[in-house]
Amino acid sequence: MSWFTEFPQLDRYQLLSIRKTLDEGFREFTRSYGDAIEHFFDPLLVFLIGFEKLLLASPWWLVIGVILSITHFAARSVRLTIGVAIALILIGVFGMWEDTMRTLSMITVCTLLSIVVGVPVGIAMSRSNRAQSIITPILDVMQTMPAFVYLIPVVMLLGIGRIPGVIAVVIYAIPPVIRLTNLGIRLVDEDVLEAADAYGVTPWQRLWNVQLPLAMPNIMAGVNQTIMMALAMVVIASMIGVKGLGQPVLQSITNQYFTQGLLNGLAIVVIAIIFDRVSQAYAKRSQQQFRGRDD
Amino acid sequence: MKKFQTIVATSVVALSASLSFGADCGDVTIAEMNWASASLLANIDKIILTEGYGCNAELVIGDTMPTSTSMVEKGEPDIAPEMWTSAIAEVLERAVADKKIRYAGRSLSEGGEEGFWIPQYMVDEFPEMATIEGVIKHKELFINPENPDTFRFMGCPAGWNCQITTANLFKALELEEAGFELVDPGSGAGLAGSIAKAYEREEAWFGYYWAPTALLGKYVMQKVDFGSGIDAEHFKKCIGNKDCMDPKVTMYPPSDVWTVVGEEFAANAGAPIMEYLNSRSMTNAQTNELLAWIEENQADGEFGAMYFLDNYPTIWKQWVSDDVAKKVMSSL
Repeated sequence: MSWFTEFPQLDRYQLLSIRKTLDEGFREFTRSYGDAIEHFFDPLLVFLIGFEKLLLASPWWLVIGVILSITHFAARSVRLTIGVAIALILIGVFGMWEDTMRTLSMITVCTLLSIVVGVPVGIAMSRSNRAQSIITPILDVMQTMPAFVYLIPVVMLLGIGRIPGVIAVVIYAIPPVIRLTNLGIRLVDEDVLEAADAYGVTPWQRLWNVQLPLAMPNIMAGVNQTIMMALAMVVIASMIGVKGLGQPVLQSITNQYFTQGLLNGLAIVVIAIIFDRVSQAYAKRSQQQFRGRDD
Repeated sequence: MKKFQTIVATSVVALSASLSFGADCGDVTIAEMNWASASLLANIDKIILTEGYGCNAELVIGDTMPTSTSMVEKGEPDIAPEMWTSAIAEVLERAVADKKIRYAGRSLSEGGEEGFWIPQYMVDEFPEMATIEGVIKHKELFINPENPDTFRFMGCPAGWNCQITTANLFKALELEEAGFELVDPGSGAGLAGSIAKAYEREEAWFGYYWAPTALLGKYVMQKVDFGSGIDAEHFKKCIGNKDCMDPKVTMYPPSDVWTVVGEEFAANAGAPIMEYLNSRSMTNAQTNELLAWIEENQADGEFGAMYFLDNYPTIWKQWVSDDVAKKVMSSL
């Protein structure tokens, strides 16, 4: 009757052989394909390093100037621009400029990659219910699977450093873009599409000129969420050797350097606020544009 | 007065004797540190104390800092089977003087082993790479993919004690001048992952690691010889110090790894148990081998301890009396 009171589980040796077989399989896989996969990501690595070098090599006032003008043109808010300027100068004064640039470049690349991969997947999902029913559970897994679970397999496959970091961050951060692109396109009014069809648009024109612009506020909300989630992963990514603000945070956790942790944490918050306000303001203004046209 | 002392002394002896020969030694808490070798030792202690000495042993999760603090301040847990004492020597020595704790035996007879390592297959190919000059000579093997003008030396994760020692030795060995970059792996898991990745594909790897670990049991690595011998004095004064201005080359001195016992427990446990704790000790090679088995079989400390008691009786029978050994054997 033991099965009645205790769950009839596989015994230790069966479980062991399953775990060993799967682990050995994965090792076999990294041995045979690891190099090829590593080289596949080489262009991305070159881009990542180049972008980081650009940010690090540019004089600080130029970088601040560019960030401020982007902020200003996107948000058109003097108060926000001044706030960003003060925050960036404080980051520099407290000696976190280089780490902040590294994190900034990492987050920018992760966001671009998420958009480049995520928007087409979202479009595919919006066009086919079957695709949606397959992709949705995958996205659920990506969002909820603890990052530590795939961090070390990624290291086994790609080694330590930026590329595995980018992959870990993108896995976690890409779902919102995909979900909200899908949602945005599905929410475009049927009547508008009918009207567009009546004008005899090609499928490409329909997507590019009607559906995507109308879905833009939703897509931008997704991008915004993606950026926030990418920033949340910065510290975890630094556990596999990604340089940036995450490393001093990790160090402060191990050594109980509270102030160092707080300062670097606040620098991450500043980056988050810049990205957030800029992308939200941009989304809002693009929405207003459409309202203006509709009215 | 003299007489009084004798009476006290005899009664203490009698008391401890009666305790040790009693069927149960009472409740014992054993700290199970959160790394593999300590977990293994804690489980071995638990089985031997429970089966051999009739203790009611219980494991409590621990880590170097919280466990040592709690032992010094509260006298709990009773036994820390694998305490790396070098980093916290001052605190512990004060506590020993205050009769709060007591050192039993060395858990690792040779002490913990740190160093700069390269995989064995590289030494097989270029025997001169067993020394630091050889490694520098073949530095092109270690090209850093993230910065191809430099060669990669895998350092110690940020915030760990060894980060300071590796950085100072990196400077003393003039590795930076040779074109090496000190890379921060970010975490212990990251460091281990980078070794595993390199080893599975027989790639070049050069960096800091320590033994006994499952990793060094599983992947055979060669400790790079600096040709300097150990200068323990300089290591303590300068290499282990963040503000070391003029680091000189020295090998890592072995880290002290002790079984630390609460004074109250030590005074009451009785001689046989203390004898066991004083003599329970393993070499790094034995520990590496056991840890590798644990990892190979994805076992935990408990399973590992049973495997050890089953398969290495020659080792553990030296720690206990024949009587106790028989009891433990029959329980397996």
